[in-house]
Amino acid sequence: MNSERIDENRTEAVRRRRKRNYRKMMEARLSAISLLVMVPVFLLIALFLLVWPRTKVSQIEKRELATFPNFSFQSYFDGEFTSGITKFYDDTVPFRDSFKVKGNQLKGLFGLRGKDSAPTIIGPGNVVAPPKPVETQPSQTEPPTDPANMGMAGRLPQDTKPTDPPTEEPTQRDYTGQEAEGNYENGLLIVNQDGHWRCMELFGGGSGTNYAEALNTLQEKLGSGVTIYSMPAPLASEFYVPSNFAEYSASQSQCFDGIAEKLNSGIVSINVCNTLSKHTEEPIYLRTDHHWQPLGAYYAAQAFAEAAGVPFADISEYEVGKNEGFVGTMYAFSGDDRLRNDPEDFTYYVPKASYKTHYYDLSFNYKYTGRLLQGVDTANSYLMFMGGDSNVVKIDTEVKNGRRLLIVKDSYGNAEVPFYTSSFEQVFVVDMRYFERNLVNFIKAMNITDVLFTMSSYSAVGSNANNIMNLIEQDASSQIVDGQLTAPEED
Amino acid sequence: MVFADLYFLYFFLPLCLLSYFFARTLKAKNTVLIIFSLIFYAWGEPVWVLLLLFSAWFNWFLGLQIEKNRNRAGAKAAVGIGIAVDLLLLLVFKYSGFFVENINALLGSAIPVPKIRLPIGISFFTFQAISYILDCYWETVAVQRTFKKFLLYLSLFPQLIAGPIVRYSVVEAEIDNRKTTVNDLCEGALRAILGLAKKVIIANNLWVIVDTFFGKDITGLSFLGTWYTVIVYSLYVYFDFSGYSDIAIGLGRMFGFHFDENFRHPFACKTIAEFWQRWHISLGSFFRDYLLYVPIFGKNRKYVSLFLVWFCTGMWHGASWNFILWGLYFGFFIFFEQKLGKKRMKKWPIWWKHIYSKLVIIIGFGIFYFENLGQLGLFFRNMFGISSLFYEVPFADQLTWGSFQNNLFLILVAIACSLPLLPKIKEFFLSNNNDTIYTMGRVCALFGCLALLIISSILLVDATNNPFLYFRF
Repeated sequence: MNSERIDENRTEAVRRRRKRNYRKMMEARLSAISLLVMVPVFLLIALFLLVWPRTKVSQIEKRELATFPNFSFQSYFDGEFTSGITKFYDDTVPFRDSFKVKGNQLKGLFGLRGKDSAPTIIGPGNVVAPPKPVETQPSQTEPPTDPANMGMAGRLPQDTKPTDPPTEEPTQRDYTGQEAEGNYENGLLIVNQDGHWRCMELFGGGSGTNYAEALNTLQEKLGSGVTIYSMPAPLASEFYVPSNFAEYSASQSQCFDGIAEKLNSGIVSINVCNTLSKHTEEPIYLRTDHHWQPLGAYYAAQAFAEAAGVPFADISEYEVGKNEGFVGTMYAFSGDDRLRNDPEDFTYYVPKASYKTHYYDLSFNYKYTGRLLQGVDTANSYLMFMGGDSNVVKIDTEVKNGRRLLIVKDSYGNAEVPFYTSSFEQVFVVDMRYFERNLVNFIKAMNITDVLFTMSSYSAVGSNANNIMNLIEQDASSQIVDGQLTAPEED
Repeated sequence: MVFADLYFLYFFLPLCLLSYFFARTLKAKNTVLIIFSLIFYAWGEPVWVLLLLFSAWFNWFLGLQIEKNRNRAGAKAAVGIGIAVDLLLLLVFKYSGFFVENINALLGSAIPVPKIRLPIGISFFTFQAISYILDCYWETVAVQRTFKKFLLYLSLFPQLIAGPIVRYSVVEAEIDNRKTTVNDLCEGALRAILGLAKKVIIANNLWVIVDTFFGKDITGLSFLGTWYTVIVYSLYVYFDFSGYSDIAIGLGRMFGFHFDENFRHPFACKTIAEFWQRWHISLGSFFRDYLLYVPIFGKNRKYVSLFLVWFCTGMWHGASWNFILWGLYFGFFIFFEQKLGKKRMKKWPIWWKHIYSKLVIIIGFGIFYFENLGQLGLFFRNMFGISSLFYEVPFADQLTWGSFQNNLFLILVAIACSLPLLPKIKEFFLSNNNDTIYTMGRVCALFGCLALLIISSILLVDATNNPFLYFRF
């Protein structure tokens, strides 16, 4: 009896031990199998990233990707060499844009989104940090409004909006008076209006004191022979922030009025908010980009021409071009898949008037004579105007009215330029962020009669405006000569 | 170099692993690890890698001196010098700017504020060195005679720059005697992938929310918006830091080292004392073992040293008043719990314990976040509804609601993963007597982790810049 129980216990113990050993063997085998699956996958990815040709340009981010850093002891000890290698490796992943799109789609699964009106739209995305331009060169697009600069000032209650005078034209829809589905992340608001998604930077307000002071200083330095015009360009949020988000975006029209009050009496202020608010149902702003559409720039340019008393060609006198399937910077900034799935037409207007466009570098050294509207990929549509911001441009037109215009602008101003080709005898364009010469000397040397400051409200009230004073003060003693006039004629 | 980075994952790591497993002897393997660890560190700190080397050599040398002068005054002197120099390094690199700023503010002086960049991971390896010297002195570990082996301990890259603060005793034996089994390798890899996913999928995306609402002036942020963001931030810190620790533990395991756990689901705690037994365990235990019982405070040492510990815990996290406040804040609740006594706390209903502890923790993370004390004040006003009542700040707002909807699943998954659900699932499958269930568990773990690896890698393509939060501590 006793020995039987002992036997039983023994067999039970043996059975357990066997079971344990068997489990151990299984554990090891399954681990080995797991490794046999994981290691090849891991190594294949590693190999793919190592040998596959690297991506050089991102269409989504509209920038050139990082390049392999040059070695120097200095850069090594600064840590720049090693971090440059990491950056190169991470930035230039093969098929970068496709992976980004996949990533944004995955992030779209993080939450619930309202129903999309456009039928093709699938799960929308979340927001990623805005890509930082890598280049130290003038960037081709300005980054979206830095939320840090804007503060929560945008939460100020906002009760006044430009109201339309009850006159002539048919009243356009006031989108700011209607609620719309949407959400806000990382300083960007995305809303659905008329079945399409629109992504906007909210406007945080600002005094524009530096901007106004710089313009006043310039006027004092130039004296009476030159007229200065101030025409800041509103961001899309002025017209398209629905009422349920209205409290987060300050009025740009009020802000522009505030700037106008600070300007000397001789400076002509043009507030285009009212003008543009009459065209909100037309495509005056890009929905997927932080810029306006050329049509918006046209209405603004028209308002300026009127104020300046110069002739202005009606839009019917332009040839219309269209880039279909445009998805702008807002997709890259927001990573929101709804924008990618809802592309828009980029419509541009080619002047029929004849003119010549001369290109200079930022120090006003003549480079070449070429086209004003350049051939670009659809993704880079907004870069068609003079190829972006990294040139100084002179346009000789056939107008003979003795008026010479200097445009001091950020990228918003670029879209206005073609519309001045039948208004001024000569048009000069400089970027307020990158121009390297002295503005006063330049105006005098080129016999400028009219100076137009036209830039986004973001630039006018933000840190970019600080650079205008710099333009007035920098490089003060130098002589400015137009190299194109001495260059051999080319066609 | 950081872990959540394609370059580390798919270039550095495979190279290191291949070299490691091609090395035949343990000695060669150790050499491989040292070389890769130094490259890893020098990648981010091409100059301060010398400081790491110096710290390693200096503390190793002091260890020898302690042994030589055992039971003599020399040993005490060596410990004293060691701690003094280690702390001085920390003081100079981490706190000099803070001290000078405060002296200037206090005395109205204008001493130029030194702008010294904090070498990566100095808070971690300095504490490891201190623990080693004290352990040598207290004879809880044997002195390491070979410099190379000590350097391996201090510079071992999985734990070098963001913890856990691995004690020498933990790896002492494994430096000389370890082998990686297939189980180690497999489980280490799975653990590291899980950590990567915690960081890349959850933490990085929670950060987007935090940055949306707390990334700028919070004037006017609604009551609910403030609560929402600070809760998300608490989750973010947990996933960021514990993800990093998971990667460290996983990678260590792949090389045959068994580090201690650094987090045990801290949000499952019922008291604040328990929270700190579950949160950044290696730091809490460091202070407990090396500072709390230092017999220098006489009769009242229990309470004096308690607050000293929490002052230091706060200060360790950063050279800023809010961190000190944060430490003392937790010190106060630990003190409160001690005074109240375990018995009385036990009588609390369980739901109340959870509400109490979670409230304290979440508010604590608010203090942790706002280095700007003005913003911290606003945070409190928003959080307790004072802004809503007196300053016409809304109670709730559209932005918060939109963000919540947008990230609903992410937040739910984060909350679920912060509770000890996964270990329960794991236990069900892996401790199951049924072989089929066991196998199923293993297969699911494998493919689940593979999917997480691929998702994390795709998301990493977009994240050109995502440094770990604990990188600079």
